[in-house]
Amino acid sequence: MFTLPQKDFRAPTTCLGPACMQDLGSSHGEDLEGECSRKLDQKLPELRGVGDPAMISSDTSYLSSRGRMIKWFWDSAEEGYRTYHMDEYDEDKNPSGIINLGTSENKLCFDLLSWRLSQSDMQRVEPSLLQYADWRGHLFLREEVAKFLSFYCKSPVPLRPENVVVLNGGASLFSALATVLCEAGEAFLIPTPYYGAITQHVCLYGNIRLAYVYLDSEVTGLDTRPFQLTVEKLEMALREAHSEGVKVKGLILISPQNPLGDVYSPEELQEYLVFAKRHRLHVIVDEVYMLSVFEKSVGYRSVLSLERLPDPQRTHVMWATSKDFGMSGLRFGTLYTENQDVATAVASLCRYHGLSGLVQYQMAQLLRDRDWINQVYLPENHARLKAAHTYVSEELRVLGIPFLSRGAGFFIWVDLRKYLPKGTFEEEMLLWRRFLDNKVLLSFGKAFECKEPGWFRFVFSDQAHRLCLGMQRVRQVLAGKSQVAEDPRPSQSQEPSDQRR
Amino acid sequence: MSHRSDTLPVPSGQRRGRVPRDHSIYTQLLEITLHLQQAMTEHFVQLTSRQGLSLEERRHTEAICEHEALLSRLICRMINLLQSGATSGLELQVPLPSEDSRGDVRYGQRAQLSGQPDPVPQLSDCEAAFVSHDLSNRGIDISVFYQSSFQDYNAYQKDKYHKDKNTLGFINLGTSENKLCMDLMTERLQESDMNCTEDTLLQYPDWRGQPFLREEVARFLTYYCRAPTRLDPENVVVLNGCCSVFSALAMVLCDPGEAFLVPAPFYGGFAFSSRLYAKVELIPVHLESEVTVTNTHPFQLTVDKLEEALLEARLEGKKVRGLVLINPQNPLGDIYSPESLMKYLEFAKRYNLHVIIDEIYMLSVFDESITFHSVLSMKSLPDSNRTHVIWGTSKDFGISGFRFGALYTHNKEVASAVSAFGYLHSISGITQHKLCQLLQNTEWIDKVYVPTNCYRLREAHKYITAELKALEIPFHNRSSGLYVWINLKKYLDPCTFEEEWLLYCRFLDNKLLLSRGKTYMCKEPGWFRLIFADELPRLKLAMRRFCDVLQEQKEALIVKQLEDAMRE
Repeated sequence: MFTLPQKDFRAPTTCLGPACMQDLGSSHGEDLEGECSRKLDQKLPELRGVGDPAMISSDTSYLSSRGRMIKWFWDSAEEGYRTYHMDEYDEDKNPSGIINLGTSENKLCFDLLSWRLSQSDMQRVEPSLLQYADWRGHLFLREEVAKFLSFYCKSPVPLRPENVVVLNGGASLFSALATVLCEAGEAFLIPTPYYGAITQHVCLYGNIRLAYVYLDSEVTGLDTRPFQLTVEKLEMALREAHSEGVKVKGLILISPQNPLGDVYSPEELQEYLVFAKRHRLHVIVDEVYMLSVFEKSVGYRSVLSLERLPDPQRTHVMWATSKDFGMSGLRFGTLYTENQDVATAVASLCRYHGLSGLVQYQMAQLLRDRDWINQVYLPENHARLKAAHTYVSEELRVLGIPFLSRGAGFFIWVDLRKYLPKGTFEEEMLLWRRFLDNKVLLSFGKAFECKEPGWFRFVFSDQAHRLCLGMQRVRQVLAGKSQVAEDPRPSQSQEPSDQRR
Repeated sequence: MSHRSDTLPVPSGQRRGRVPRDHSIYTQLLEITLHLQQAMTEHFVQLTSRQGLSLEERRHTEAICEHEALLSRLICRMINLLQSGATSGLELQVPLPSEDSRGDVRYGQRAQLSGQPDPVPQLSDCEAAFVSHDLSNRGIDISVFYQSSFQDYNAYQKDKYHKDKNTLGFINLGTSENKLCMDLMTERLQESDMNCTEDTLLQYPDWRGQPFLREEVARFLTYYCRAPTRLDPENVVVLNGCCSVFSALAMVLCDPGEAFLVPAPFYGGFAFSSRLYAKVELIPVHLESEVTVTNTHPFQLTVDKLEEALLEARLEGKKVRGLVLINPQNPLGDIYSPESLMKYLEFAKRYNLHVIIDEIYMLSVFDESITFHSVLSMKSLPDSNRTHVIWGTSKDFGISGFRFGALYTHNKEVASAVSAFGYLHSISGITQHKLCQLLQNTEWIDKVYVPTNCYRLREAHKYITAELKALEIPFHNRSSGLYVWINLKKYLDPCTFEEEWLLYCRFLDNKLLLSRGKTYMCKEPGWFRLIFADELPRLKLAMRRFCDVLQEQKEALIVKQLEDAMRE
């Protein structure tokens, strides 16, 4: 998904994420608008490439206060993505277009998927698929999901269809869970760097914040690897949030991690879950990359494989086909939770997050086809991911650029700190823009709330010719050879309104 | 590796702190409320366990149960609040470098209270859901509201009528679905042009909807709404259903607690959509069935009524941001004339109100003598920046399971704000392709689908209205939509919403699902909405059940009147 430039909602002195609509729920009336625009004005200097202030706080707006905030999300998060869409690379039609190494999509297996989805068993149309159905998802699909997860997550006991809720993607699931587990203004803990779009997912409807657990690249103390998550860091972040009067309701874990490409060991997982239980926190485990672990040596374990969950009633697992089956446009995601209250509450919102009956049928067919998945799709997908990964990591090695990647996910977490003389986020942004001007789209660390300026996420799951060209453009920028490198357009960084293309 | 389990002692940070004074107040309040809850439960058990034999008594028992559910919901919310108060106090404690690690007695007691997953084990399953610790208050609210609204629908889903397999199952004339053209749609969707699995359909889309689909929607609406100029694809946002569009609009046009005006009776789904996520109030503009000097036809909407409702709302300190119109109207089946539509729009402009117009039944006008005028057909809109149109395929093409809804608005600001919800209400690329193919095929729509659909709707409508006439049941005779709005007032004695609900239950007992006026915020008790867009054999059986219930009800009324007379 696009985790491109996101505005900085963060108040300077706190570790909390966007408080964007936090105050809106409590009061309304004339005062609010004044207060709101004032707040926005305060924050504006921190925005980068976001939008002109007049559009946000203008009295002539047709939108409500929260509507203006919501639009702000749209305008700001979109910049890189939109630029890319207006100038997409195409081998024949637009060879000088932008190469997208920023969006986490697997573009290596469309041939396999396209073939599978056009088989005759996929084309079933029957009245029950065209009519209103169970909002949790058709039973036949929930049964398949339960079987699928039991098998691939290596669950010690068979998982149950009653605990499955199906909706149109992981984003919707984050939104629904935030709404039913938290009151407005409450928070989830999340280790950073993290997949930044979650901020928007939990905020739009749920109006909740993220409280960051900052991780460091440096290995110190008891840590054994960079950006290691420990219970001490969790405890500290929780205390800090409390001391600021923020109520924390849960913890979000992404495993395999995005953007680190890291996996948690069962022991670590257990520790985090015990921590959460101790503080009566919900744990949302996003396992959307679970089948994209392409290095055999990486011992990935799903949370559903644990013999015994410390707090099964507060452990909620997410999975989707966007990444593991490279179909982000299909919009299929699923929740697994033993907590029936939570399942029912999420299902209550599913009329807003439903997916077509025909697609539900296709997904059931796909997940059921264990032979194809095991013998064709997964081996081929992993081989291709591995080859692409090898290519990009070799390139980086030759350039002498440090990076992190453990063989899971579609990305490499790249350390470009040495290219930032002052080591600031402004420089990180400038470098990102330089890449974009040289027609390669990447994601910068700030979008993942990384504490240290200079980290970038490179997505490698793309066809070889695009990948080569993309890396070539990266090399040019880093060598200072790109045409625009010497002449960064001043308007780009100083007059955000010009970015509203 | 740590295999610490739930026997783990409380962490040091929690153990050491002393309990603040507020805390014990929370604890005491919590205890009192728990006692109250128990007492209430026992009281209701006594009330409802008396073995009433007659139907009447059973009904009243059920009414008591409804009240009980309401009360216990309130109490459970109090408990939740108190518990969260008690817990938050605990969590806010700063760890002290203390010597004692056991904590004091009071702490132990409270920890037990708030630490157990279910402090009131004697509650039934359904009620237990309301004391859930795991949901937020708004989560509980959403869950309860959903369950209370869809309980009967879920019962139907689990026990559907089938002509061979389940002859005693529910027949649903309550949910507005067109089941008359499943053959045409199934055939059309199986054609080869429908299946496409191109790369671009499998990748992240434009969150406003794929450009090819937005272009097609703009073309489709230009043609079928008879727009004077071509509609612009940039003004189209495509989401997974009209309720999603409405929800997103309510989010971006209103702040929490603000309101829309809606002429009532109106489609209950809007009340649902505005409440679940957006927390926007719908203020009904009550219309009356009686024809008077100013009311030239039943349930007529006039600007006077709109103005009156607006002023009243303002007097109560409510901030009204818009007006919601459904055209063709659901549940009335009325169609607004261009003149009245213009008056409503001018009214809205006068007060700077947004107008959301839902035209989801626009192709389901089955009487050729009636012309539907879309708001998009107007030469000039009084306030085009505040006029937002919703359309979808659920009703007109009978594919509610497809999840597709579109917004058309001239206001770019509103369009982009709604687009931010594209993530959360997205449609599969594969489905977008199918929809595009479907809408593109104007020839099939004009020559095959719409004529057949209208013919079948007309026939079904003819059958139902003939039955109603034979039963001497008054109804609102219109020729659009999938429903008739019928008046069963004479079967209610006294004519109250409680009696309306009891009659609804009687239908339900006879495995017939209808919708009652109350859920449309109708002011007068006794109205029901009957869906007729179903296959004839099912419709016939449904009407047989319908007659049986009314006969039963009539007899019960006579008995009741006799009893009353004898008592006098």
